[in-house]
Amino acid sequence: MWKVQEIRGRTTGSRNVRHPSPEARRASWAAAGLVVVFLGLALLSLLIGTGNSSPARAWGYLTGDPAARADTQLRLALLDVRLPRTLAAVLVGVCLGTSGCLLQAATRNPLAETGLLGVNSGAAFAVVLGLTFFGVTSSAALLVWALVGGMAASAVVLLLAASGRAAGSPLRLVLAGSALGATFHGLTAYVLLGTQSTFDTYRYWTIGSLAGVEISDLLPLLPLAAAGLLAALGCARPLSALGLGDDSARSLGHHPGRIRLVVAGAVSLLVGCAVAVAGPIAFLGLLAPYAARAVAGARMAVQLALSALIAADIMLLADILARVVIRPWETPVSVLLAFVGGPLLIWIARSSRLSTAGASA
Amino acid sequence: MTDVTPPDSVVLRTGTLSWLFPRRSARAAAFLVPLAAVLICCGVLASSTGMSLSQTVSGLLGTGDPGTVMIVQEFRLPRVLVGLMVGAALGVSGCLTQTLAGNRLATPDLVGVNEGATAAVVASVAGSATGMVGDWWLGPLGAVAAAAVVVLCAGGAGAAGYRVLVVGIGVSTFLGAVSDLIMSRENDNTAGGVFLWAVGSLNGRDGGVGVPLSLALLFLLPLALAVGHRLQLLRFDDDMAASLGVDLRRVRAAALAVAVALAGLAVGVGGPIAFVALAAPVLAQRLAGPTRVPVIGSALAGAALIAAADALGRVIAPVELPVGVVTSVLGGPFLLWVLFRTERTTGKA
Repeated sequence: MWKVQEIRGRTTGSRNVRHPSPEARRASWAAAGLVVVFLGLALLSLLIGTGNSSPARAWGYLTGDPAARADTQLRLALLDVRLPRTLAAVLVGVCLGTSGCLLQAATRNPLAETGLLGVNSGAAFAVVLGLTFFGVTSSAALLVWALVGGMAASAVVLLLAASGRAAGSPLRLVLAGSALGATFHGLTAYVLLGTQSTFDTYRYWTIGSLAGVEISDLLPLLPLAAAGLLAALGCARPLSALGLGDDSARSLGHHPGRIRLVVAGAVSLLVGCAVAVAGPIAFLGLLAPYAARAVAGARMAVQLALSALIAADIMLLADILARVVIRPWETPVSVLLAFVGGPLLIWIARSSRLSTAGASA
Repeated sequence: MTDVTPPDSVVLRTGTLSWLFPRRSARAAAFLVPLAAVLICCGVLASSTGMSLSQTVSGLLGTGDPGTVMIVQEFRLPRVLVGLMVGAALGVSGCLTQTLAGNRLATPDLVGVNEGATAAVVASVAGSATGMVGDWWLGPLGAVAAAAVVVLCAGGAGAAGYRVLVVGIGVSTFLGAVSDLIMSRENDNTAGGVFLWAVGSLNGRDGGVGVPLSLALLFLLPLALAVGHRLQLLRFDDDMAASLGVDLRRVRAAALAVAVALAGLAVGVGGPIAFVALAAPVLAQRLAGPTRVPVIGSALAGAALIAAADALGRVIAPVELPVGVVTSVLGGPFLLWVLFRTERTTGKA
């Protein structure tokens, strides 16, 4: 059933090189809209928060009102609390959106999500190990453990997927990823079942929150994320070729196995950063590319950009809501992400114009 | 009349009745059935109490001392049988959803059964005064309710089996967040109890669950077999299938319904045991060859995986390990080994 639609989608996508197709026009409108939403949400994220720094006073600070500028408490709330949080939300969103889009295209599997490479489960296992056997308590140290664990797990998945005769086949990557992901998941459960104290900390780590993120936590991650994003950009064209099938890609001079390796490396860098900041959030990496594909059609570079934008928007929105829904307490951001994203995903899947777009990846 | 038997099959004929046996699947089944039998024996023998082999055998035959007979016949044997049934249900369910979507990642939990069951169980914990997990049937009930919501939200299971999966992911995530939210308000003891359930465990599952479970399977497995046979036509498009006299929309809806019912039962009884629904059909496909929908093979592989994992979980560590932990820790490498080994001998991915 999907094969037929795929072929149809491709022919319409590759026609109209000179004139902007309705698809391209739609994509540029969507991109413009998403950028406006992004700027609005980023501003809101700076204005809204708990505590007694009201949005009006925060606005005054941003516009250079001298009375507000003199208020050190306001300055603290804005620059040391809300700004890092906003940046963290953008970083996590961009990382997850881009990597999800990359992974779904490289495995040619629209159900592939960013947890598939074992990054999430590896990070979770490392966090649990750190908590249980190495007495890690500070959130900055947990961040390092999560990053290292996620990278190590994805390295193992990559080595397995790249070995043997069928190196780099999409099915192999998918199965190796889910098999090792399950193994790490089981090991995590095994350690957790034996240690109640770890379980309590882990329970809060795993539902994720951007509260208490500091600029100093984010800075070391930026080079990693930038490397991942650059690799993603470089992959856009080869991935488009890969969308035509491995044989066609080969005849165009690409190496499918090698592309998949680079993609998987980029994905593990990006997801590693996201997991380190916000805990294991797999859902956004599935939702954002799905939405992006529905709007962007077949072109990979547009898909990547839209996917990153959409994910950043959703992440910002979820984090703002996390601060306000049960004031003065915080809601875990992953919970809000699910409350925002779940219905959104259902809506996109239901919308008849968009419903076939997801299958054509 | 010429012989039209497909080259890879054997036909049994008695009068007007005939039965087509694909050789490769038949060989696979012939290998898996004794394996399951061996696993039952291992499952009954494996103990965390240090009962000897002869004691166990005499208990099984009903000739030993009353205590041993009771332990073996009333606790261990039912538990092993329940495990086999849960595994078979998960395997078949996974086989149907993977075939339906044409996607190896399409496991039944994407349709919301796991999160539905978990949400129901978590709600039962939050609602009870004692903080205990409620009755076992809450799980299947929650699973089926969640799946019904998924199908309703997707606007029917008919043409877009894929859309059902995406909507299922949305609903699952939503329900998972609800569970998380409830759990973050509960105290740590309760959360630990639910975590143990959510890992997947057969501890304490015996005859009380076994009878309704086996009745349901007696009804559902033949249905799954019939539906799986029809699903082979999914390789063609809808028009071709219609010209062969099959309404694919109806077949897909039926397949989804059977898959949900099976997975719901399994999750309700054993908790959301990880990985079996993904791995069993993949293993069965290796044995059955690429052109068949391996319903029976998936049932046997699932049953074998769970039975082996449950038995191992009882002997491998000083404390009893829940079956879900064993399936995911050992199942992952096992799946990889099977995939890579067959690849080396056949040269195929």
